[in-house]
Amino acid sequence: MIFTKQKAAIFLVLILNLSFSIYAQDYPVDTITILTHSRPGGGSDVFLRELSRYLGPELGANIIVKNVTGGSGASAIAELARAKPDGSKFYATTPTFIYTSLLSQPAYTYQDVDPLVNLFFDPELIYTAANSPFQTLEDVLNKARSSRGLWGAANPGSMERQSLEQLKLATGLNAAVISHEGGGDLIINVLNGTLDIGVGEAQELQSQIEAGSLRILATLSDTRLAQFPEIPTVQELGYEVVVRKFRGIAAPKGLAPELILRWEQAIQSVLENPDYQASYLADNLRLNYINHADYQGFIDDFALETQSYLRRVGIIE
Amino acid sequence: MDAILTSLANLEFYLVLAAVLGVAWGIVGGALPGISPSITMALLLPFTYALEPSIAIVLLASTYVGAEYGGSIPAILIRTPGTNAAAASVIDGYEMNKQGKAGLALGISLYSGVIGSLVGLSALVLFSEPLARLALAFTPPAYFALGILGLSVIVSLSGESLVKGLIAALLGLMISTIGTDPVSGISRFTFGVSDLLSGIQPILIMVGLFAMSELLKQASAQYEIRLKTIPRIQFPDNKLKKRLILPQCIGALFGGFEGLMPGAGGTIASFMSYNEAKRWSKSKHEFGKGSPEGIAAPETANNTVAETSLIPMLSFGIPGSNSTAILLGGFLIHGLIPGPMLFARSGDIVGDLYVGLFFAAIALLFIGIAIMPACIWLVNQPRPYLNAFIMVLIMSGIYSINNSLFELSVVLVAGIIGYFMRLLRFPFLPTVLGLVLGFMIESNFRRSLLLSGDELSIFFNDRISLVLLSVAVLFIIGSLAKRFIGFLFTKLKSKFAENTGR
Repeated sequence: MIFTKQKAAIFLVLILNLSFSIYAQDYPVDTITILTHSRPGGGSDVFLRELSRYLGPELGANIIVKNVTGGSGASAIAELARAKPDGSKFYATTPTFIYTSLLSQPAYTYQDVDPLVNLFFDPELIYTAANSPFQTLEDVLNKARSSRGLWGAANPGSMERQSLEQLKLATGLNAAVISHEGGGDLIINVLNGTLDIGVGEAQELQSQIEAGSLRILATLSDTRLAQFPEIPTVQELGYEVVVRKFRGIAAPKGLAPELILRWEQAIQSVLENPDYQASYLADNLRLNYINHADYQGFIDDFALETQSYLRRVGIIE
Repeated sequence: MDAILTSLANLEFYLVLAAVLGVAWGIVGGALPGISPSITMALLLPFTYALEPSIAIVLLASTYVGAEYGGSIPAILIRTPGTNAAAASVIDGYEMNKQGKAGLALGISLYSGVIGSLVGLSALVLFSEPLARLALAFTPPAYFALGILGLSVIVSLSGESLVKGLIAALLGLMISTIGTDPVSGISRFTFGVSDLLSGIQPILIMVGLFAMSELLKQASAQYEIRLKTIPRIQFPDNKLKKRLILPQCIGALFGGFEGLMPGAGGTIASFMSYNEAKRWSKSKHEFGKGSPEGIAAPETANNTVAETSLIPMLSFGIPGSNSTAILLGGFLIHGLIPGPMLFARSGDIVGDLYVGLFFAAIALLFIGIAIMPACIWLVNQPRPYLNAFIMVLIMSGIYSINNSLFELSVVLVAGIIGYFMRLLRFPFLPTVLGLVLGFMIESNFRRSLLLSGDELSIFFNDRISLVLLSVAVLFIIGSLAKRFIGFLFTKLKSKFAENTGR
């Protein structure tokens, strides 16, 4: 009985394959490799493997996820930049690939690849321990005004830290922003009351929120989240801080226009697939499709903004 | 408890199979130098997508258990720890091997590993809740103090010369500062090389220091034909078993606690328990010269860690080590979110996990026995062949982690440094400790100061930190005093000999 679900899935894939090979043009290669700098089981890895289940049949090719973990993304970018633009190799983008390009001088940077499409933004939340005295973000800021604010971020060179530094700038407060080695470390220090607040992705907080041990104070997205309609955005509270932690796909430079179109169509139709919708909504991903024409501009803006932030806090010259 | 009974009542063949296969795969992966338990698990992860959730989780968790034992096989046979946590087993394990007691050394390691697994599993099942609360009490100053306590072992690990031990430790601490600054995010000593951004993995240095330098040394030694010992698995007899109880208790205790704390992933526990086993042993002089107790303590510790590290992972969804992070990934793939709600929502999976881990501990015993003759046969092959084989194994193992030539060169450079350290009689273990603990100490020290606004008093106001630091001071003073007394004693003795000789 164990393998019934799997059998059903294989059957479904077979049927889908059949129907698509009738209607769709043949994809130029049989196997597409999508690279990720994430290790197996990490955020991008789980996202890609779930996506490829739906995207493969849509494009009419097998999709393999390859974990190229070296150099905080530098190895994966290098492999993509050197790949032939024949539609066989892609890369899952996240802010990491911009950070790495800016923080070190890798042989290949984000400018050597072609941002293809964006799919999602990961919502970032500001949270505190359920038993803490802070009921609103304003309470936290008031504490920082009267004594010393202790705010936590997951990693030193991360979007979370950037958002807290931006909040400091927007409020004119001087709180200590304390970075950690990953979100887990941070949650412990918020739970045990060492820190006032932490910033983290909805997914990694979900279990604690449901158990009632964490309280969300605000979201760093541009609009309120469907899962937490009562939680205000930081922008609504009067501070101009918005985080756009993107998830998309990049290609080697020089991908043929018809292949770009093919990917845009395939991604759009996958995003409308009800099964996939159910899956990404459960993972707390926010749909934010950006097509190829606009994605380059988005990435460039993002990189410029990040660069000026890194300069301001003295991480790069 | 109910969940365990339900799971046992509906015990599926596949669950047991997953435990057995996981352990077998884990032993193989752990035994390959450079392939850490987390990599062994990561290699398996893509195959778990198609499996039932509980089968997948049991497979991964059993792999972890197997790998922690597997790491001791090369530590004993070729003086190269297969995993970070097996580094402490090198000391006496390899000595026993040189004395022709490889079979017994492996037997002790296996026996202790099974005991550690069972003790850790009991703690996991029975005390998950109170122990999870303990993990929450650890704040940055407490982690700093824990790291310092780990470093205090250096005094007694340094061997003949304390100064050389300290220099070696400093080398490790210096290597640990390479990479992204843990607080500001500035790149330190990376020279624009992106491979250095995330720092140098301790396992690369360890493989270089231990394995490469050993190969270099043997290449220059004259080849002598070794007497072929008959491959024989040897478990400790009852007398020896009794002797091992104390070091195993020490190992289980340290391992049990370290598993709760995110950070060093079993390395502190295995070194601390080695050190304490030595302190409390009736035959201290045997340590470093092939003491069975010196294998039992760290090997019990690292297998206990493999079980108790699941406590913070399951209770909070917080992985304490790379291995538990991979396991967390395994949960997420199947839409299960570890944390407070896991027990309420997917109690059946937790029950299956506990049952699977029990079978994994049993399977460890049988598979461990089954593959031992092959291991012992292997090390009894002519040295030149064996060394060439080990060299290829190490290089391909390291390369397969990230397909990175850079990491291969790190291993080679570490090997050359290790060769000279050997010539100049510098001990390796302080370097390994410095390397593993340096980052943890530095980041938590600076984090604590950020928290307190640069007040050092935070380390004394935090109760856990105060206790750990005091213990560390006692250790250091005690070990120094022992060294000093030993020094005086030998001096007096030589003087006495001089006087009477005349």
